[in-house]
This record gives sequence, structure tokens and C-alpha cells, in this order.
Amino acid sequence: MNAKKGWANVSIVVALMVLGLVFSPFAGAADIKIGALNDMTGATSDVGKDYALGIAEAIHYINDTGGINGRKIKLYQFDYGYRIPEALTKYNLFKRLKCAAILGWGTGDTEALAPTVAKDKIPYVSASYSGHLCKPEKTPYNLFFSTDYSTQSRGLITSWFDKKWPTKPDYGKRKPRIAMCYMFASPFSSSSIKAAKDQAEMLGFEIGPDQDVSLFAIDTKSQILSLKEFKPDVVLHTNTVMSVAATLRDAYALGLGADNLIKCWGFDENLPRLAGKAAEGAIGCAPWAFYGLDVPLMDKVMEYAKKYNPGIPQEKRTIHTVQAWANALGLAEALKRADKAGDLSGEGILKKGFETMRGYEIGLGIAPATYTPTDHRSQSEAKIYEYKNGEFVLIDAVDLKARWPEKWKNEWLGW
Amino acid sequence: MSTTWLPCGVYHETYAQDHAWWQTRFIRGKMVLLAFILFAVIPFLADSYGLSVCNQIGYTILGALGVQLLIGFCGQITLGHAAFLAVGAYTSTLLILEFPWPQWMMQWGLAYPVSIFIAALVAGIWSVLFGLPSARVKGFYLILTTMAAQFITVDFIITQYVSQIGGRGQAFSLPPGTIKVGPWVIDSDLKVYFMMLALVIVCVIAVVNLLRSKAGRAWVAIRDNDISAAVMGINVVKYKLLAFFVAGAIGGIAGAFWISNLAAVSPEHFPWFWSLWLVGVILIGGVGSVHGAIFGSIFMVVIMEGLQLAVMPLADTFPKLLMDFLFIKEAAFGLSICVFMIFEPNGLAYRWWQGKNYFNLWPFSY
Repeated sequence: MNAKKGWANVSIVVALMVLGLVFSPFAGAADIKIGALNDMTGATSDVGKDYALGIAEAIHYINDTGGINGRKIKLYQFDYGYRIPEALTKYNLFKRLKCAAILGWGTGDTEALAPTVAKDKIPYVSASYSGHLCKPEKTPYNLFFSTDYSTQSRGLITSWFDKKWPTKPDYGKRKPRIAMCYMFASPFSSSSIKAAKDQAEMLGFEIGPDQDVSLFAIDTKSQILSLKEFKPDVVLHTNTVMSVAATLRDAYALGLGADNLIKCWGFDENLPRLAGKAAEGAIGCAPWAFYGLDVPLMDKVMEYAKKYNPGIPQEKRTIHTVQAWANALGLAEALKRADKAGDLSGEGILKKGFETMRGYEIGLGIAPATYTPTDHRSQSEAKIYEYKNGEFVLIDAVDLKARWPEKWKNEWLGW
Repeated sequence: MSTTWLPCGVYHETYAQDHAWWQTRFIRGKMVLLAFILFAVIPFLADSYGLSVCNQIGYTILGALGVQLLIGFCGQITLGHAAFLAVGAYTSTLLILEFPWPQWMMQWGLAYPVSIFIAALVAGIWSVLFGLPSARVKGFYLILTTMAAQFITVDFIITQYVSQIGGRGQAFSLPPGTIKVGPWVIDSDLKVYFMMLALVIVCVIAVVNLLRSKAGRAWVAIRDNDISAAVMGINVVKYKLLAFFVAGAIGGIAGAFWISNLAAVSPEHFPWFWSLWLVGVILIGGVGSVHGAIFGSIFMVVIMEGLQLAVMPLADTFPKLLMDFLFIKEAAFGLSICVFMIFEPNGLAYRWWQGKNYFNLWPFSY
């Protein structure tokens, strides 16, 4: 009985302490606070973990090299396990902590929070690069340092049309044929399909039937068999690396004979590991350099990876670390500019930080970034790599703005 | 288990008094105080994070009430309740975005309230559909059929078809100003909080009253022994399906409330884990009591958030704590269920009841 009483008392005390914690304000400091939402345990943790590590390492680097004009960044990083209710409370926690900006993660949390972010005026730099997030009148506070999905898809198709199609035996005799494999229901996979079809039509492709490939697909033989009737010259894949690898394997096994174009999340160091021989000759868009390539700042990325996460072997680190660095460094630059202008409010960071960037060079093999008040597509250049003889080789860089200035400006924004 | 112990000298003279919720002036005073705290203290003391935690609690209560009704009062174990939340959320969203409401309804801000009501109906009917097997099977078999509800509804129908309506193929986001209740546009945590309070109070009153009615008695009889219940003349199938309907309807209300909290909805909001979570909530709160659903929700949400806040100051020294926190959280969820099963199988609600009685009976505990 006494034990029970004691237990009751303990639980009451704990409950009161917790309540006190929940409703007590934190002591503020002169640091600039940044929130980070990452997925290290959820549905997208296969790529999310590396990204999360990259974010933490990049913030260490920024603090070691002078921070934001002498002020340090205090990072509050949370793993939300790709659970949306969790993302929402974390977001409110970031608000309470008075975070200047948030480094978000996937399409799920980014789209769910977009209306709220716009209302609260907190810059949200995410790893979802959907073209839908580039229209400032719709989503003014959503930003990212990458070529958006639609521009990637347009660039891939254009590059193949320029470089590969003329080498085919049927060149000049008929229209080239393209088909697309993606998960119909996934906002992430399907976000750039409309743009891809538009580009293919413009260049005079014949477009085949879309194939629904789940993000969790391990067998895609039925989709490949139905593609065989259409005989595509090239196939566009917009899923993540696991299902892209499965599709490549089945296409290789069934002798589809088409070239493969892959959006950034399906084109990383794990693709050859998962797809084996089938990955040979795969063409993908990678807005940043692959981990370990010889580009400015890559030595720092590797140094900090070794320093802060020595337990993870270098060969296990991927391009997603580099992606995280790009977003973190880009955000830091915006903060520096806004801080110089003396306005670190959300609106200040947007107007006097991000939107003052014109051809800003981050390094890391990423194209220069430009944001304007009417256009948040930070880059117009799609960097195209080919996987040849065990290496990723840069084969092309398609600048869509330079080639189609009118369409870029008036037609292609926001989808 | 009587719910109240009356001080010496208080006697009931009518059935109405005997069945009243709050039987003495002191209890009425406590309830007024509670209402004062909920409506006047919390909204003005808590910041947006505090309010969002409260809204999270409210959402969990609304979800757990249905689960409590099915498992705790009717004995029908369910592991797919998130499906009905999803049905409610999508019904309400589609009605707001796609349905041609007459202009006067839009003007009066009636579209959302009406959509909540319809969402409850649709989710209730959908729940009955998956409750049909309960007429034939019990226990383990029923668990599997309710799990099927989750996968068929969320992973298949909603993901593949419903989320494609209007060519979206992705999250529906509700433009600002579309969620209106009467003259109020629900656009801040505070407004969501008041809406949450209203819905929770309405649903709790409805469930408690149902439990005092013929249907509630039938449910408890079925839970305790369905064969005896049938012998007594209770139409077991009818009442089981009624329980599924009511639970689904409350789930639908929870889902419809959820969209106001986020102004967006996608299939990713209703994973199977959420169904599991709700069962955990009532296990910890106490199976077979409305208090249980409320206490369980408060405990699960506040403890989890509290753990996180307790971890934060330590994170400077141990940065890995924040990164790996979710593992600690998952472990805490499992661990708390184990601890409750061992030390307090009747849940928090029983502890609450004991605490009250201790004071009521003091100093003579007989």
C-alpha cells in the first residue's frame, strides 16, 4: 500500500514538473537559432539520415568559420520520423524558440506546412525541390538551393535529345519515343511529370503510356513488359533510388533497350550498388557534385564528416550530405546578408537575404543561385551526369533560361 | 465501481438525482473551475506551442474516444481506427473544396460545420462496413479485419484514387479562409483550440450519455459476455454494428477537425502507427472509462513533449540525444505500456478514482 502511495506521489510530481517545463519559456541567447526537421527513422530514412548528418556538420562548419557575422548558429535538430503530426508540433516548438529559419525535409512536411509558413513568415529551406514551391505569390517562404524537379526533368530530356538521339540508328527517320515511370499517387514522384511531358512535346517526342511504379517497388516486370510494346528510346524515372534501381534491373533483364533518365533522388552512389550492371550508362541530373568529387568546398565536407561522424565509413557517405551542405550554406548566406542589412525578421531574411542573391556561388559543384521577388527558381541550369565505367561523369549542363528565355520567364514558373 | 462517494447525509430521492453527473455542489464547483481553466486560463497563458500541444491532445482524445468505445465498452478490438480519421478528413476536405455550396451557406460560414457532420456520417457508415465481420468473428480475427480497414482505406483507396481528385495527385491544401465556422475564419492556434474544446466536449457528452442509455448497457453486456447478452435478448449484431458506427463517426469528427489544424491533408497523415498509438493511449489511460481516453491522451502527448524539452538542455553536451530522440520516444511508448500493464493494469483513470476516494473517505476509509 505504501509503495503504491509512493508511486502515486512520484507520478504527480513528475506530471507537475513536465507541465512546468511545457509552459516555461526558454532563456534566449545572442545566438541565431535554426530549426531542422529530419527523417532518420521514417519512410524516407534511406536518404534522410545522410542528409541530417550533413546538416549538423555544415552548421558546425559555419560556426567554425565565423558564424553569421560573428554570431553563432544554434541548431535545434529533430527527427520527426516522417510523421506529420510530429512535424506540426516541432514547427510550433521552433516558433516558440524563435528560430530565424527552418531547414525542412520532405514533400510531406513541406507541403503540409507551406500555408502555415507563409502566414508566420518563417523561411523554410527544404529538401523537397518541387517546382510548385517556386512561385512566390503562392509559397513565398519556401526555398531551396537546387535545380527544381521540373527544370531537372526538362534538362534531362533536352540533353538526351541533343547528345544521345543523334547517335541512334533511327535518327532522322522517325520521332524519338519517351515513356515515364513514377508513383502516380506520390506528390514527390509526380510533381514534375507535367513539365516533362510539355518539354517532350515541344522537342517532338512521341510520348508513351505512363507506368505506375511504387516507391516501394521491388518487382516492376509487368510495367516493363507493357513498355516493351511501345519500344521507347528513353525512359524518365522520377522515384527514389530503391525503386529506380528495381526498374533498371528489370528493364535490363527483360532487354527493354531504352536509355534511362533519372531525377536527383534516384541518382546517387547507391544506384550502382543496388542495380549492378543495369546502372551502366544511366543518365541523371545532380544539381550538386557527388560526394568526394573534386569541386570547391568538397574537402571541407569530407573533413567535417570524418571529424563529427567518424563511425560512418567514407564510402557510405553520399551526395545527400552535399545537398544538405548546399541548403545550410545557402541559408547562412541569406542570414549574413539580412544581418548586415540589420533585419533578421522572417521578412528581412527573405527580402534582404535570399532575394538579393544574383548568381551567388556556393561551391560544391552547384550552379550559381539567383532569387528574385517574382521567381524562386534558384537555378536555370540542369547538370547532367552519366554513370560510365564505375564513375559519375559530368556530360552536359543545360541552361534552360538561356535556351528558352521567353518560356522560362512567362510559362514555366510554378509547375 | 461507483463513480462517486457521497459525503454523509446526502441522499437521493429521485432517479434523476441518482443518475446526475455532478451530484453535489462541491463537484459542480470543481467542474466550473475546470471550465474556467480550459476556457479562460490556458488560452491566455499558453503560447502557440503550448496551444498546439493542447490541440494535439484534443485530436488524440477525439481519436481515442472511438477506440475506447469499441475496445473498452464493447469489447471489439480495433487496430485500424486511423482509417476512419482519414475518411473524415478527406470527406470534409472534398466537401469544402469541390462541393458547390450555395452562396448563402458560404457567407454564413456553414460549409465547414456541415462538412464535419457529413464526415462523421460517412466515416460511421464506412466503419460499419468493416465492422460487419464482427458479427461472425471475435478477438484475433477481428483485429486482422480492422487492420484490413486501415490498409484498404488509406494505402489503397485514398492514396491511389481519392488524393487524385481534381488532378492534384498530392496533398490537398486548403487555401486560407476556406475553413470558416460562422463568422470566424479558423486561422490561428487559439481558434483551433476553442474549436477543439467544443468538439471534445460535445463528443464526450455524447459518449457518456450513450453509455448511460440502453445501447451503452448492451455494449457492456456484449463486452462482458456476448453469449449471455444474446440469451438476455440483446441483438448482439445490431449493437456491435452500432458501436462501430458511433466509433467511426467520432473518428470522422476527429479527422475533420484535423484539417483545420493544418490547412492541408495527405494520406501520410494517417499511418497505421497512429491506429496503434490510439490503442496505446487507452491502455495507459484505462480501458473501459471515458476518463481513460482523456487521461491517456494527456499523458502520452505531454510526457512525450516533456521528455523532449527535458532533453534539450542536455543536447548541448550530448548532441546525439536530439538526433536519436525518436528512438527514445518509441521506447518510452512501449515501456510506458509495459509499466502500466505491470503496476497499474487499470490505467490512469483508476488511479484518479482512487485518489478522489481517498479524499472523500478520509479519515475513515470504509
